[in-house]
Amino acid sequence: MDRNQLMKWIKAPTKMAHKYSLNAVYFCTGCGVIEVPPTITSRWDAERFGVVPTATARQANLFLITGYVSVKTLRAIIRTYEQMPEPKYTVGFGSCTINGGMYWDSYNTINQLDKYIPIDGYIAGCMPRPEAIFVAVTHLWTLIDKDMADGYKRYRKNYAAYRANQEMILGEMEWPPIFQTEVATAITEREG
Amino acid sequence: MTNPLGTRLDATFKGVELRSGVDGRLAVVVPREAIVPVLTFLKEDGYDYLQLISCVDWIDRGEFELVYLLSFYTEDEVGRDGGKQEVLLKATVPREQASAPTATGVFAIAEPHEREIHELYGIHFEGHPRLTPLFLDRDYEIPPFRKDFDTKQYVADVFDRVPPIDEEG
Ligand code: SF4
Repeated sequence: MDRNQLMKWIKAPTKMAHKYSLNAVYFCTGCGVIEVPPTITSRWDAERFGVVPTATARQANLFLITGYVSVKTLRAIIRTYEQMPEPKYTVGFGSCTINGGMYWDSYNTINQLDKYIPIDGYIAGCMPRPEAIFVAVTHLWTLIDKDMADGYKRYRKNYAAYRANQEMILGEMEWPPIFQTEVATAITEREG
Repeated sequence: MTNPLGTRLDATFKGVELRSGVDGRLAVVVPREAIVPVLTFLKEDGYDYLQLISCVDWIDRGEFELVYLLSFYTEDEVGRDGGKQEVLLKATVPREQASAPTATGVFAIAEPHEREIHELYGIHFEGHPRLTPLFLDRDYEIPPFRKDFDTKQYVADVFDRVPPIDEEG
């Protein structure tokens, strides 16, 4: 263990634990996902950074959205995101998630992902290299340290607005809102 | 027309127009009604592989062009006429009355291709067993691959209209 970090471990052990065990949902969208298999296997070995892919959303805390998002995928992304336990972090991978990228005028891809789910950070590029994922992961560590990776809190807080946006595109959604406004406020008050 | 297959097609069907094969392909232009008979003829002739069906929107001419690309799994079956080639079967349908006979009766693989064309170009395939949406999740007033579908306008109207989340509020 890095002895410089000892104080951090003593002060906030849970935060450190979250930081170093990022379990990424193995959820692939868009072309950017081509970079993920070499990243998690021996060539780049994401496990050095504590990032491992996880088969199910219910055991994951990192959601890497790897490219353009079509309307149909958006539905799946929201479902997946909502199933992940808190604390959870989302990273948009590639320009398509930022502003639509080269699909900005497509009839079927939503352009700005952060209108529908909260994003903690973006990796720019089309497509970004695996190294960029590691830069993002180390940035994410810093954000977690400083309590700035708070996407899931923002989701709770602004859930009504997010849900309204989701319904604008998806129409009627087949699952009920996951937070009642009062409950969300209560959790926010209790946990910040 | 020196091409043997072309000669036989010419002799069998009326209104078949042959265009010489650029890059080894023979293009056969047929009227809409002849799509299924010509496909059947070609299939019996050894062209047992329907590679794809595609569609072109010639908006200036007011018609869609359906393109069927046929080739074969085995060489010797087609070697009969002395030359291997791929065959492009083309037929046009008017834009106002966009409908064509289905090829599913001849090639089962036509099913998903025709569903896709139906979804993206709005062409109706008569007799198709399952013309349901294939990929898309939304309804479009104009099918999105038609030339008069304005994608920029659509994006502005639908996706850009969604407001950003006001995190401070
Ligand atoms: S940013 Fe580039 S690589 Fe990534 S999904 Fe978009 S087009 Fe594909």
